[in-house]
Amino acid sequence: MPRFKLPGSGRNRLDYLLFGATLALVVLGALNIFSAVNSLSFSNPVVRTHLLALPVGACAFIFGWSFNYQIYDEQWKGLYGFILALLIGVLLFGSYQRGSRSWFVLPFFSMQPSEICRVASILVAAAFLDRRGRRIREVSSLFGVGLLLLPIFGLIMMQPDFSSVVITFPALLVLLYCTGVNMFYVGLIGVLGGVTGFFTISWTYIYLHPELLDIGVIRVFYDLAHNGWYMAGFSVFITLLGYGAWWFFKQLRLVLPSFYFVLATMVVLAGLFGGIFVDHQMKPHQRKRVETFLAPKSDPKGAGYNVLQAQIAMGAGGVFGKGLFSGTQSRLGFVPERHTDFILAVVGEEMGLWGTLLVLGLYLLMLWRIITIAYMSGDRYGYLICAGIFGMFFTYMMVNFGMLTGVVPVAGIPLPLISYGGSNLVSSLWALGVVQSVYSRRLRA
Amino acid sequence: MAVTKLFFNTRLKKLMILATIAGGIIALRLVDIQVLRHNSYLQMAERNRTQIIYQTAPRGRVFTADGVAVASNAPSFSMYYLGAMQDTEYLTKLATDVAPRLKIPQEDLLNTLIKGARSGKATLLAENLSTKSTVALQELQFYYPGVYLVEETKRSYPFGGFASHLLGYLGSMDDREWRKRDAKLGYRLNSKIGKNGIEKKFETDLKGTDGGVYLEVDYRGRVKSIIEDKKWGAGSDVYLTLNFAVQQAAEEGLRNSLTGRGAAVALDPRTGAVLALASAPAYDPNIFVQYSDEENPAQSKKINEYNLAVQGIYPPASTFKIITGAAALESGIIDTKHKINCPGHYNSGPRVFKCWGTHGPVDFFDGMSNSCDVYFYVVASQIGAAAIERVQRMFMFGRPTGIDLPGEKAGNLYGPTRRARNKTYWFVGDTLNLSIGQGELLVTPLKLAQFAAAVASRGNVYRPYYVEKIVSNQTGKVKEIGHPEILQHADLKPETYDTLFKALKYTVDTGTARRVKIKGLNVYGKTGTAQNPHGADHGWFLAFAGREGEEPSIALAVFVEFGEGGSSAAGPVARKMLEAYFNPPPLPTQTRARLAADYNELFVTGDENAAI
Repeated sequence: MPRFKLPGSGRNRLDYLLFGATLALVVLGALNIFSAVNSLSFSNPVVRTHLLALPVGACAFIFGWSFNYQIYDEQWKGLYGFILALLIGVLLFGSYQRGSRSWFVLPFFSMQPSEICRVASILVAAAFLDRRGRRIREVSSLFGVGLLLLPIFGLIMMQPDFSSVVITFPALLVLLYCTGVNMFYVGLIGVLGGVTGFFTISWTYIYLHPELLDIGVIRVFYDLAHNGWYMAGFSVFITLLGYGAWWFFKQLRLVLPSFYFVLATMVVLAGLFGGIFVDHQMKPHQRKRVETFLAPKSDPKGAGYNVLQAQIAMGAGGVFGKGLFSGTQSRLGFVPERHTDFILAVVGEEMGLWGTLLVLGLYLLMLWRIITIAYMSGDRYGYLICAGIFGMFFTYMMVNFGMLTGVVPVAGIPLPLISYGGSNLVSSLWALGVVQSVYSRRLRA
Repeated sequence: MAVTKLFFNTRLKKLMILATIAGGIIALRLVDIQVLRHNSYLQMAERNRTQIIYQTAPRGRVFTADGVAVASNAPSFSMYYLGAMQDTEYLTKLATDVAPRLKIPQEDLLNTLIKGARSGKATLLAENLSTKSTVALQELQFYYPGVYLVEETKRSYPFGGFASHLLGYLGSMDDREWRKRDAKLGYRLNSKIGKNGIEKKFETDLKGTDGGVYLEVDYRGRVKSIIEDKKWGAGSDVYLTLNFAVQQAAEEGLRNSLTGRGAAVALDPRTGAVLALASAPAYDPNIFVQYSDEENPAQSKKINEYNLAVQGIYPPASTFKIITGAAALESGIIDTKHKINCPGHYNSGPRVFKCWGTHGPVDFFDGMSNSCDVYFYVVASQIGAAAIERVQRMFMFGRPTGIDLPGEKAGNLYGPTRRARNKTYWFVGDTLNLSIGQGELLVTPLKLAQFAAAVASRGNVYRPYYVEKIVSNQTGKVKEIGHPEILQHADLKPETYDTLFKALKYTVDTGTARRVKIKGLNVYGKTGTAQNPHGADHGWFLAFAGREGEEPSIALAVFVEFGEGGSSAAGPVARKMLEAYFNPPPLPTQTRARLAADYNELFVTGDENAAI
């Protein structure tokens, strides 16, 4: 029993705080999208699509809310199959736009299935973990989730739509954390992924900037991927390093199990060979995509220019902003992607600090309500869903706000409910509907 | 169950704390960006969206003392294309109509137009256009929307090479100058700045504040609207001490002299103000600021910057006899009535010193008026070289005049003390050479003018100055620049001056300086012919004059290089200058121009001659 009375713990079927925050964000988002494209006319494609997406999103919300969320638990295999079918379908029949095949073009609108899959894969993963019961702390649970989601990630990467993966991964980590898996293994996998990614991305970066090869260290590092002798030498070196570290700590009379040193060595080597494998599999155009990911929306002036322009817009807005439809930075096109990923720059320029703090505050309110609902949920599945959706929104908030304020590197990630993007809006509202469904079927009154 | 719930509970709390901390960091960053850095970002945003078509402001004018604008501004136009009309047919028609007026090939113009129209940017089609074409182009503006004429001004020197060595000229900035005069001071990379003379020295005052047409542009530079049209502010006017007529007479005289090379300087002996300072050959500073659409005669941009009046040093020759005479009078051992026979030569030991003629018995006045060398040889050997050197020092020979002009030469003082300091010997021959102003003695024409003025004012050696004041066109504030400054007083006896005046007037009335004898004036003068071992002799003329019954009000020195004779070459120039001073010709009409305080009216009529 809670020691204090949580807000929304009455007999309501709807958490009004969460609903209010959602509604406020959607309204703010719509206003700023219209302002960003500088139009209120229905003939503007962005305005039209958004006005169509809003009722669809409302339906998705009501759908998520009114259905008992446990249906996803029961029918998780069907849901899983549905996701795979959608993702395979988009690879086969999707339209090819801006370097990726991630859109279904339907008669009245286009749809991005990876957005739906983002939410659905959380539901599926939660269902799987829920079923593991008390065996959750075993490594097998971890591998199980990995194996389960590998096809989904793989299919999304084939589009490729890196941003969906980037967002779902931390959400999954939060989910695992809340499930109670052994975080040591999670950390280990994270490091392995990190090392692999480090090698792959570094080599790709060097490949795209051949002038770096003039530096000897970089040359040797790059040749690791292609020269067997170098590979062998590096492996021996790492092994010796691991052994040396073990010996060193032993001399210091610090008793550390040798298992950790073996493990660390193994992880680095696995990362190296994983990296080599990925590197050899990559084709030039894929490398280009990795680079595009490293510097999204790369234009002649570079990604740094985009962020700078966005920051200029926000800074120029000051405390009170220039007023809706009056921001010069956004209206004259200095802020790139201003109605999607950089919508916050428009908010900042036209509504000022109050606007950005309002959005941030509403987001934090939303996150807090989701956590509270997780706490109040009637069963473990509801709890896990909320944790996963919390992770998803938290990641969105961190990456998008962080990108604009220069706290995290640039990544092309929208801000759900605020940014333009029908599929994103609909799937986000669906996710929030599911959270409301958990609330309405909560255990604690 | 309870244990599990508790376990879940703490993890959820940790997550919420993490989210709150993350939100806090982001909020701090937002405050940093939107509050603390608001001003700088706002400036950047404004810079982003505004493009300025600058309009060069009129530079301050330069006036002579009698109010003639000798450096002013003329209207000039730049033509821009701001339209986004991309219709090739329209652009072709526009190019066909406009190209001949701009004097640029039609294909080039069409290419520029098409490129500009596609980009939507403000495109400069031509700059520095004369009013002649703009009247027609202004009409085309109505037929071709998108064509935009921007009014500017350009420097113009209505009298060509008038006082060019004083005025200087304009030129583009080089890297070093750009570092010194950057955008903060209102300069642009294509701004023209003063490169020499007054244009350089008073650059900061002369430069106005450029106006500009402020355009709102989008991220591709496409023009969205014209925000405002900011009017320029004209630079401050500089007032010189020059007398227009005298300066012009000096320049004309030198141009028409035997060799066309020389210098003429006139000073006001009462103040040291420069009435004229001419150096020939001169140059026309207009060649650096020409219109782009006018047929320009192929002119070499190499100009003669050498200012002979302050940088040329020559022996003063017979004009120096005033000093020798003064030293003799001052010594008291010479009787002016005492006659000395001039057989045409003077024997000094084994050496023979020649006179330029055979004058027979001459007294002091004859000696001066006929410029008899023998007379001064005799006198000099009687009074000694040291006495002559003393008087030289009184008039500050061998020292710069102190005028505010770059590269002034000091000349060379000549005398036994000077020799002693250099640890060499002084010979009798040196005394004789010194007495007639030859030998190592060197002066600039300006120095000699200063000397003439000093004699005219009975001993006041003034520092010459040529800039009176600077008057701001914006605030009306007056900045005084030059003022009379006595450097030294040549303390000779009053009788000495009286006698010198008498002798010099006698020289003009009956002697070698007859050429400057003018009715109604008291003119005092002395000629000089400097022997030149390398070629033809140089001609000198020194004079000062005043109306009858008045103090001398003008003192001048004229020098004609290789002019052969002082009287024949330099005399006519001096006479013209004196005539111009005492009986000035009508000043050039600059009517509305000169008095137009508001530069705007300049563009109303498109009058080609509307120089201001």
